[in-house]
Amino acid sequence: MFRRPSLPIAIALCAALMALACMPFVLSPYAVKFTTRVLVLAIMVTSLDLLIGITGLVSFGHAAFFALGAYAVYFISPESESANALLALAAGAALGAAGAFVIGVFAMLTRGFYFIMVTLAAGQMVFSIFYDTDIAKGSDGAYVNVKPDLTIGGWTLVDFDNRRQFFYVCLIMLAATYLFLLWLVRSRFGRVLQGIRVNEQRMRALGYDTYRYRLAVFVIAGAIAGIAGALFACIDGFVTPELASWRESGLAIMMVVLGGTGTLYGAVIGTFAYSVLEEALKSASTVGPFISEHWRFGMGVALAAAVLGAPRGLAGLFNSRTAAAPLSPGGDFLHRDLARPERRAHALSVRDLARHFGGLHAVDGVNIELEPNLVHAIIGPNGAGKTTLINLLSGEVKPSAGRVYLDGLDITGWPSHRIARSGIGRSFQRTNIFADFSVRENCALAAQARGGAGAQRITHALDVAGLSHRAEAIAGQLSSGEQRQLEIAMLIASGADLLLLDEPLAGMGPEETQRVVALLRDLARDHTIVLIEHDMDAVFAAADTLTVLVQGRLLAHGKPADVRRDPAVREAYLGEEDAA
Amino acid sequence: MDLVLIQILNGLQYGLLIFLAASGLTLVFGILGIINLSHGSFYMLGAYAALTLTEPLGDVFRALLVGIPLAFLFGLAIEWLFIRHLYKRDHLQQVLLTFALILIFNEMQQTIWGSHPHSIPTPNYLTASIRLTDTLSYPVYRLALTAICLALALAMVFVIQKTRVGRLIRAAESNREMVETLGFDSGLLFRFVFATGVALAAAAGIISAPVESAYPGIGDKVLITSFVVVVIGGIGSIRGAFVGALLIGLADAMGKVFLPSLASVMIYGVMALVLVLRPAGLFGRA
Repeated sequence: MFRRPSLPIAIALCAALMALACMPFVLSPYAVKFTTRVLVLAIMVTSLDLLIGITGLVSFGHAAFFALGAYAVYFISPESESANALLALAAGAALGAAGAFVIGVFAMLTRGFYFIMVTLAAGQMVFSIFYDTDIAKGSDGAYVNVKPDLTIGGWTLVDFDNRRQFFYVCLIMLAATYLFLLWLVRSRFGRVLQGIRVNEQRMRALGYDTYRYRLAVFVIAGAIAGIAGALFACIDGFVTPELASWRESGLAIMMVVLGGTGTLYGAVIGTFAYSVLEEALKSASTVGPFISEHWRFGMGVALAAAVLGAPRGLAGLFNSRTAAAPLSPGGDFLHRDLARPERRAHALSVRDLARHFGGLHAVDGVNIELEPNLVHAIIGPNGAGKTTLINLLSGEVKPSAGRVYLDGLDITGWPSHRIARSGIGRSFQRTNIFADFSVRENCALAAQARGGAGAQRITHALDVAGLSHRAEAIAGQLSSGEQRQLEIAMLIASGADLLLLDEPLAGMGPEETQRVVALLRDLARDHTIVLIEHDMDAVFAAADTLTVLVQGRLLAHGKPADVRRDPAVREAYLGEEDAA
Repeated sequence: MDLVLIQILNGLQYGLLIFLAASGLTLVFGILGIINLSHGSFYMLGAYAALTLTEPLGDVFRALLVGIPLAFLFGLAIEWLFIRHLYKRDHLQQVLLTFALILIFNEMQQTIWGSHPHSIPTPNYLTASIRLTDTLSYPVYRLALTAICLALALAMVFVIQKTRVGRLIRAAESNREMVETLGFDSGLLFRFVFATGVALAAAAGIISAPVESAYPGIGDKVLITSFVVVVIGGIGSIRGAFVGALLIGLADAMGKVFLPSLASVMIYGVMALVLVLRPAGLFGRA
């Protein structure tokens, strides 16, 4: 969950704030104006991070709310007088929020790709409204003749036309936005938002009306973007439909990612980094005329190289908690090296194993060698006998025929608790933890089951499963990915080194899946793992061997690459006789 | 009345044109799982290719015959250089990389062709207009354009429905993971699909060039409209893209007659309506 910025970062942020506060006395008027623009953009980009980095909503139409806020200032400004500054900002927020509400009502019906497309189209619609109709002078853009000020009883407190005063207004607004969002994200509401990012399905299952939460955060972000837009309109006193164009939205996403998603302050860093780089590339005096003429090319190539070269995102430069990275075998699990010694775990050998329920041959003469220290995945269509096979191995179900050997020891027909004590641990399809106990207590219970509550073994289990920092948390409050980690920690604490996992990734979001896959890879150092899984990406990322069951029979067993080329498997899955 | 008839013809023509662009987009997302923001750039590059190729080759149809294979090769190269690294990355990274491609393509276009609009000549033998009724005539080139779009669309449907590659594409669209699991060289299939999408978008850009001319930013509108079509039709569905494209083409053309000032908003209204009724699009799986 979202943590407060660490002390060094907080100090750096304060130092940056001080440095910025000195700017108007040091810089040229042009530079002050440039910095003002960046401050305003940073407000907008930070509000976008609330959507992308915190809630996981990749909105591609955020510039629309920015433009609406800017146009709000135009709408409320009298022809030849100055509008009230507070009214201008409020109007910006209101129009931004209203736009976000109208768009959000539709957009929140969608997810993923559709959401990106719908927000993109909606932003473009706002652009078209301002571009094609003459509600605000159409495509030429419109002027705010006199900039807003704050006059009370004849005294002008703040005048937005005064460059220096306005700079401070923007600086204060940015700081206020950051602090407000920091508070919001750490509130109960913010925790729900983060839950939605990690696993929305689970949040719904927990009883959250995620539609409302998503809509609410969309409107909040829209309001903040609207305020930023209102400030932007006061920089040049000019508003144009281009503010709403999808390029602006795209640039805002770029800035968020550049600085690091999900940190809030990263959005500010990203905005400054991008804007300064752009400014530097554009001005011929610093880089020569050729580059300054083709700066977009350089920008595009740099961006493409960054995405391709740094799969975890540029964010990693500033912060390690980044957007979900791709599934990769043995990914750097939680960025640590335990240097745990490798240790040979138990192996299983299955001979002609069969189980019949009445006339149904749930498992029918299966032979497999499950070698030690590998991740074995069992796949197959529904009703293929996967869970029955696991139940046979763990002793929940007695075989009708055949034998099971644990490192050569015949354990066929042993009761399940005896099998568990000999080193085989299993998890169930549904998460089975003690929701009211703390993480450590859960593990203690598991360790206790095999006699002796060795504190060392519990600490070790939490460490291996990557839950040491959550040891005192209440299990029911963990994310579903963490609960799966806890289940695995419990198996480790119980002393098992051969783990049978029934759909360990079911119901998980991509971020969680990635975490657990990395955990499984890491575990194989001193465990043997057998898992049933439907998520094929995860299976190929995690497994060393694949076993394909169809109607209780073993169809194929071997390395994933070989199994996927097996003609029989292809026929069974695709129903093609002549598969090329 | 004549105006309405003309607009129906224009709407069908525009819809078919958009279908060529949108079908590539929907295939690339449905099968490769890639959000390709740079798809509009291929349309733009097609229009500029028409500008460059028409003069030496004589007319725009020869430019089309040369341009399609060129675009296909270009698509293969782009897939190999950039896109293939994006499979299994999250949407955000796909958005960023393809956004970067837009910057690169736009800069290429600016450097090679400059920022002025260019018109592309209509072939001499097609400059005439046909009289449809006493008061109504319609440019022959637009009819030819409609016919070519229709032919390309039919060819695509034939390939997808009747050939082995097409069957693989349909299988991949319905269950990408399983086709990968089965060991078809998905890399090759993906590259082929991506390049086909590029070729289709470029083809649309080339043949529409005599009508639309070539100017910077021409790809943007096509991109956004194609996205709207894909969302309406349902991601990955060619049939959905076809229906969606015609719907959008007609909505746009009718909007221009009846609600001129809101014509450009019209298509988004249609999209919002479809989304409320069917959040996964007309032919999408929920």
